[in-house]
Amino acid sequence: MKKFLTSALVRGLLWQAIGWLLGALFVTGIRFLMGLNPFDQFFFTEPAWVFGALVGAISFVAGTGAMTDWFKWAKGEETPEHREDPPGWEKYLNVSLDHKVIGIQYTVTALILMCVGGLFAMIFRTELAHSGLQFLTLQEYNTFMSLHGIVMIVGILVGVAGVMNYLVPMMIGADDMSFPRLNAFSFWVVPPAAVLLLSTLALGGFDTGWTGYPPLSVRAPVGMQMFFMGVAVAGWSSILGGLNLIATVLRMRTKGMTAFRMPIFIWAAIATSIITLTATQLIGLAFQLVMFQRLLGMGFFDPAKGGNPILFQHLFWFYSHPAVYVFVLPGLGLISELMPVFVRKPLFGYRFVAMSSLGIALVGFLVWAHHMFTSGMNEYLRVPFMYSTLLVAVPTGVKFFSWIATLWKGKIEAPTPMLFVVGGIVVFLLGGLSGPPNATVATDLHLHDTYWIVGHFHDTMFGGYIFPFFAAIYYWFPKATGKRMNETLGKIHFWLMTPAFLTLTLLMMRVGLLGMRRRVADYDPALGFDNYHLIMTIAGYLIAIAIAIFLYNLYISLRHGETATGNVWNSRSPEWQVPSPMPVHNYDVPFEVVGEPYDYGLPGSAYVRFADGSQSTKH
Amino acid sequence: MEHTNKSEILRQGAIIFVFLAVLTGLEFFVAVAIGAVALLAVIALVKVALVMYYYMHIYKLNAQDEQLDRHSFEYKLNTRRLGLWLFLLSDSFVFGGLFVSRFNLLGLTRPDLNQVLGLAVTSVLLLSSFFMNRAESSMAHGDRRGFIIGIVATLILGIGFLAGVLGVEWPNAIKAGVTPSASAAGAIFFMMTGMHAFHVLTGVIFLSIVLRNGSRGIYSPEKHWGVEAAAIYWHFVDVVWIFFYPALYLIGKLI
Ligand code: HEM
Ligand SMILES: [Cu+2]
Repeated sequence: MKKFLTSALVRGLLWQAIGWLLGALFVTGIRFLMGLNPFDQFFFTEPAWVFGALVGAISFVAGTGAMTDWFKWAKGEETPEHREDPPGWEKYLNVSLDHKVIGIQYTVTALILMCVGGLFAMIFRTELAHSGLQFLTLQEYNTFMSLHGIVMIVGILVGVAGVMNYLVPMMIGADDMSFPRLNAFSFWVVPPAAVLLLSTLALGGFDTGWTGYPPLSVRAPVGMQMFFMGVAVAGWSSILGGLNLIATVLRMRTKGMTAFRMPIFIWAAIATSIITLTATQLIGLAFQLVMFQRLLGMGFFDPAKGGNPILFQHLFWFYSHPAVYVFVLPGLGLISELMPVFVRKPLFGYRFVAMSSLGIALVGFLVWAHHMFTSGMNEYLRVPFMYSTLLVAVPTGVKFFSWIATLWKGKIEAPTPMLFVVGGIVVFLLGGLSGPPNATVATDLHLHDTYWIVGHFHDTMFGGYIFPFFAAIYYWFPKATGKRMNETLGKIHFWLMTPAFLTLTLLMMRVGLLGMRRRVADYDPALGFDNYHLIMTIAGYLIAIAIAIFLYNLYISLRHGETATGNVWNSRSPEWQVPSPMPVHNYDVPFEVVGEPYDYGLPGSAYVRFADGSQSTKH
Repeated sequence: MEHTNKSEILRQGAIIFVFLAVLTGLEFFVAVAIGAVALLAVIALVKVALVMYYYMHIYKLNAQDEQLDRHSFEYKLNTRRLGLWLFLLSDSFVFGGLFVSRFNLLGLTRPDLNQVLGLAVTSVLLLSSFFMNRAESSMAHGDRRGFIIGIVATLILGIGFLAGVLGVEWPNAIKAGVTPSASAAGAIFFMMTGMHAFHVLTGVIFLSIVLRNGSRGIYSPEKHWGVEAAAIYWHFVDVVWIFFYPALYLIGKLI
């Protein structure tokens, strides 16, 4: 208990509260001296809340000690290269420089965020089970819906960071990331960002959805500012994490690991990081501009002052479209990574798959305005953006071809990770197929802002990241813990979640086509889809039960799981050639890459050779 | 490195500075006399290329060092360079976003600002880049005195720039009716200069730290990453201004 109370997490939270309060009091004091009203509806005034929130977030990170080494460097002191972590669970609540610990910190944080976001969804899904308003007010409904969206998105970003952090240095044979302190910093800005997002609940909520379009977001309660601030802070995690990852892959690969001998997941991680490094700045900028418009009356998006609300949408989607590839590229990379292991065949068209990740990321920068076909932007922009969007289907199709060809005539085994791989492909296919109708101007004019879109992106996000994320957890759990997850529970999780999820999203698309708007708390019973909504709510609950089973499985496997220290899946990847759990600095004996990564089924082929002579010759 | 090299390097820095100064003058002249936007863009790009190559040494990113030991200082130094440049790439998206927003909101019009002041602060920032380059080259050749003089000059000019923008330009603009809340033009002007000034401020803090550490003898000709990083960052802030100055002061008709 004492160890918990003195952990970096608790210290940080305490500092955040103190910093927040002091910052708010500071502004309040100044306002008082200037003769402005010092207090407002939510006690402090909006500028006080915002400034306090900023000070609080910085105080959190400083309070954890994640920046201590940098302060020392600024003073001209040297610090030791590595820091030893305490054994046991405390290291996960304290600042660690080890990429494996940070990877797990990210992953657990992601699971927590997703559970919170899921809880919000259950609340408003229950409200939607029947037409009419049951137990939520309109503002409450909007806030839960908006928070669900953003908490899930941040959750997925954090989950992506978790998997990449854990796997990338291990797969390329590095002992850590290029910049371990920056890595720790990138993780430790996430908890204060989460606190900021949740604090919206206490500050009047916000009713704009995760997109925060002005002019609505200029009028929303103070909670809106906390949403903007939370996203901006979490954004830094993405930006700096991407920076670190690119540097790591470019500079830390082991001998012999040329570009086309990297594990395919590394290509996906690079493509994702290019997006997070650059595009994220624009959502930060867009949100900052609204914050200033609210605080100082700056008229960026106010037509009365010569501003332009469409500009916000351009800036916002310039990030937020590529962001969807931040979610899916690592997920699709995981699918390509795991499939050959369970099919015992080489990955079909490795080079094309590698290039398709980069292709998707780069074309993804050119399509953002497909979210704005109905926004009133210049009409001549519609057609170019329609075609550029449809172009993304080409590299995405390459991936599907590769998967099908890899599955073709393989000796398929289907333990839980492989179930989630295949499930992910099926679900992502539905998401992908429902995309081009949105990209086609003629059809999108009807589909825009309906539940069809909600069905589309849930399929892409689940198929593209959530399913592969589960696959990755089931697959690498033994690597991280030396224990195996329970197969039976894993299968129940899969077979409960998948049909329920497909029912949910297909019905979303159906009611969307029938005229159900998105982001509304109520609908007309005369439209005749009360029953569909009821089924969707039931499906939602089934998914929640499946997730609960998964969490129980994590817990019980951690405590009583079957010991598994060897190469559980007969993988050729280097991390499985050493005993689990992984040693602190990864590889005691360095290795060299001597062959192709996915030559499963080719006798005698080897991918890596360790300096002591042992090889990975699994086939 | 040899001592004879030093005067060579310093001379190169000075020549580049002269080029930049002439180009800035030309820019001003082109804007006033011809108003050719395309020509202004070309001049800005040439200036940026000169700064990135001769002052920021972007070519160092291309070091062929695969054979070096991964744990050697040299190898890690190149990794740090890469990291810093990636950060600048990321940061340039913020400025790029503001730059594009300015054209989206104002098109080819511009707010009425004090031209003399604009040219003055631009010159101050350019001159500071010259001294920054001297400071770094001096440190690379073990000339601590030259380093300190260079940094102090850079700091003074940097603070001068901030005083010019925040202390003179802003109040002036407000008096002339270009306020943050009056119009989108005012809003974007304050946002662009404010975001840039914020970066100058962080640069000033960074330089002060480097000055303190440098005067205590922490850096050596072989190991002075702190100095190099501060220099690259400082020049980057100058690069941003190379675009912002014409965008705010020179391009377009007066509103
Ligand atoms: C073939 C690929 C895809 C195409 C052609 C496509 C196309 C589109 C279009 C045109 C829209 C805007 C619809 C509207 O609001 O009227 C949209 C919305 C959306 N898509 Fe996709 N998409 C594709 C794949 C993906 C993927 C892989 C993801 C994410 C993982 C994704 C996530 C989203 C999200 C989140 C939205 C809704 C954004 C919002 O308004 O809140 N899409 N998609
Ligand atoms: Cu999109």
